[in-house]
Amino acid sequence: MHKRNRLFVSIALVYGLLGGLIAIVRLIDPSLIPGNVPRAHGHIMLLGFILMTIYGIALHVLPRFGGFPLYSEQMADWQLYLANAGLPLMIAGWLGWRDMLVMAGGVLTYGAIVLFGLNMILTVRAGGRGRALHVQ
Amino acid sequence: MKIELIVSGSCPFCLEAEKVWRAAAADHGFEFSVVDIVQPEGAALAQRLNLQTVPALLIGGKLRAVGVQSPEEALTLLLPARQEAHDRMQQMGFAFSRDNRWFILAAQAYLMLAGLGLLMNGSFLSDNAARPAFLHLFTLGFMLFMIYGLASHMLPRFTGNPIREGAWPWLQMGLAHCGVIGYVVGYLAGRHTLIVVGAVLTWLSLATFTFRVWPVLWPEEA
Repeated sequence: MHKRNRLFVSIALVYGLLGGLIAIVRLIDPSLIPGNVPRAHGHIMLLGFILMTIYGIALHVLPRFGGFPLYSEQMADWQLYLANAGLPLMIAGWLGWRDMLVMAGGVLTYGAIVLFGLNMILTVRAGGRGRALHVQ
Repeated sequence: MKIELIVSGSCPFCLEAEKVWRAAAADHGFEFSVVDIVQPEGAALAQRLNLQTVPALLIGGKLRAVGVQSPEEALTLLLPARQEAHDRMQQMGFAFSRDNRWFILAAQAYLMLAGLGLLMNGSFLSDNAARPAFLHLFTLGFMLFMIYGLASHMLPRFTGNPIREGAWPWLQMGLAHCGVIGYVVGYLAGRHTLIVVGAVLTWLSLATFTFRVWPVLWPEEA
C-alpha cells in the first residue's frame, strides 16, 4: 500500500479521535471550547475521518479493481496536501469565528475533492483506451 | 512483552549479559530494561523472586535464567515469548472473520433503525430534539460500524501486515454497541449523563480500533 494512502487512513484515525474528543468536551461543558463546535465536530468527522478513510482506501483499490494504474500519482499527492491544509483552516475558522478562514479552508478542501474526482474519472476512463495493465 | 535483566555494579559478568540481551531484545522487538539490585525496585524484585545470583533474567515478569547466556541460548529462551507475541497478531484470510461479519451485520441493523427514525423525524414528525439521536445512529451505528468491519478486513490484506485480534475486536465491538445505544437512548430519554457515557464509550471503541489497526499501517521494522 502506497505510503500516501497509508497516511490518508492514519490521518483519518487521528481526525476521528480528535473530532470525538471535541464533541465529548462540548457535551460535558459547552463553555470549554469556544466557537461553532457542532459545525467543527461534524466536518472533522465527515471530511477528516470518513472522507480521508475513503481517499486512502479508494486510491488503493479502485485502480486495482479496474486493472489500471492510477491516472496521476502527483494529483493524489496534491490531494493529500490540499485536504490537510484545508480542514485545519476550516476548523480554526469555526472555532475562532473567522469566516474568511472557513472559506479559504473550504476552497482548499474542495480542491482536494476535485483532484480526487478527476483522478478517479481519468483512471476509470483510461480503461477504454488500452492503458498499461501493470499496477504497482 | 518485557525483558528485564537484574544486575549488580559489583558483578563482572553483568555487562556481557546486558550486551547479549540488549541485542536479542532489539532483534526481536521486545522492550528491555536493566534493573540494579541495589536500587529499591531491584531489591524488591530480588526479594520477591528470592534471588541469590546476578545477572538474573526475567521475561514477562517471570524468572527464566541466571548467569550469562550466549546469543543462541538467548534465542531459545525467547522462543515461547515470540510465539505468544505472534499469536496475538493475526493475518486476515480471504473470507470475513467472525468479528468483521458481526460489525457489518450490526451496521445494517443500525442503518434500518436510523433510516426509520430520520424518516419519521423528517416527514411524519417535526424536526424535533430526537433528530441528533437518529443522525448519530446513522453516522456511528452505520458508517462507523461499516468502517470497522471493512477496514479491519481490507487493510491487513492491502498491506500484508497482521492486525491485533484475540479479545481486542470484541472489546471494540462491545464498547461501540454500548456507546451507540447509550448515546441514542440518552437523547430519546433526555438523560444527559447517558449521552456523555455513550459518547465516551464510542470514542474508546475508536481508540481500540486505532490501536488494532496502527501496526497494520506502520509495522515495526523487523
